[in-house]
Amino acid sequence: MNFKQLLAGAVLGLGVTTAFAQKSVKQDREAIKDMCGCFEVTFKYTETFAPEIDYEKHYDYNATALEWAELIKDEKDELSIQHLLVINDSTIIKHWRQDWLYENTKRYDFNHDNEWTFVEMPKKEVKGQWTQNVYQVDDSPRYSGSATWFHADGKHVWDDVASSPLPRREYSKRSDYNVMMRGNQVEITEDGWLHEQDNEKVIREDGKEDVLLVQEKGYNIYKKVPDAKCKAAKEWWAANKEFWAKVRAKWSEVYGRDKDLSLEKKVEGQALFMKLFPMDVTTSQDKIDEVIEAYVKKG
Amino acid sequence: MWKRIFIVVFIGLGFSFMGGELEEKFYKAIRGTYEVDQFKLEEIEASAAINEKLPAKTGNENLFQIFSDGQSIGYAYLGKAPSKKKEFDYVVMFDNDLIIKKSKVLIYRENYGQQIGTQRWLRQFIGMSPASEVNYGENVAAISGATISASSMARAVNRVLKTMKILQEENML
Repeated sequence: MNFKQLLAGAVLGLGVTTAFAQKSVKQDREAIKDMCGCFEVTFKYTETFAPEIDYEKHYDYNATALEWAELIKDEKDELSIQHLLVINDSTIIKHWRQDWLYENTKRYDFNHDNEWTFVEMPKKEVKGQWTQNVYQVDDSPRYSGSATWFHADGKHVWDDVASSPLPRREYSKRSDYNVMMRGNQVEITEDGWLHEQDNEKVIREDGKEDVLLVQEKGYNIYKKVPDAKCKAAKEWWAANKEFWAKVRAKWSEVYGRDKDLSLEKKVEGQALFMKLFPMDVTTSQDKIDEVIEAYVKKG
Repeated sequence: MWKRIFIVVFIGLGFSFMGGELEEKFYKAIRGTYEVDQFKLEEIEASAAINEKLPAKTGNENLFQIFSDGQSIGYAYLGKAPSKKKEFDYVVMFDNDLIIKKSKVLIYRENYGQQIGTQRWLRQFIGMSPASEVNYGENVAAISGATISASSMARAVNRVLKTMKILQEENML
């Protein structure tokens, strides 16, 4: 084989690789966008295995909801989906948000007690990966993980393990563990999508190894329904999106500090969402900045 | 006839009487069952003559009356029972009327038979009184694959009930 043939082979190989990567990114983006729309959601959780014989398993959690997921950012390397709960067809509650970042190198890992550790990942480690950043209802952080989307055998799957605070369903009810190691699997299905979870409820203390309390299986089943069922949520978001853009702008500045983050659970006796939710949509950026900044611990 | 040894345990002060893991699990069981954060324990020890008659012995940090805010909230019997080759630690907790509120296996030391720790099985003892008779396989369901440990636990609870009955008759409770 002469030099020309070698060069042609290398160019061809590079071309195939590039085309494959582009196709994969396109599929990734399509899969992420498939999580948008109006969904009837079933939440099911059950505790499974506990290492200690005297652990008493808690009752299963079952709930249903109607949820609107709106694509609020659609850029080449970043997609953002805002989830809104629709209660009794007309009451809207801003719910969680998920951002997807391609080959992202910076994220915040939940440590414990409202502390997040700033993590910088090497570029080669995140090649081809998407980071999923999940945020609270007030756009403060929840958890984050980075992994590759797989598209094979008709399946579209992304999964990782992320350290996270207690889930909302147990946040004010449990104090026997302080970290949930979330085994998150997102799978796009024919009917919508499935958020399957293999979680570990753990007790974390500084300088000690995590202690496993109990494992948990979870299924959040998103079944797509006509967008019309979520009309009220679409309208609510249209009327409120400018306010929440300002909230995200402030958080973006906080996250951009690239250092460990510690947040107050309450200021003046109130959680952040309790201050943000009643605010007028025309509230100034300065006021929003001031309110959020009060929750960011200094030093 | 009998004597009561008062051992006052101040939770949170780190005072240890039975040691480490078992103590921690015992306290946790009490806190969870009686839904109290703070409590005191008084050990109940029968005289040698009465102890002789008891199917479940006292005097080795076994039987306690539990107090919260100065009021009695119940009794707990902490014991050991055999599994196939080793022993497991269990607790039976009563209300003031000596009705079983809950029983728990606290420490189990074998790889087989751990099903006896599940409340799905243990809850069968709830509501039993000193007048009750535990009959494994009859009023308490058998567990296939854990026969030795399950029948052992059933016998242990039965012995504790009989003990409570005797102590009740002796006006010790």
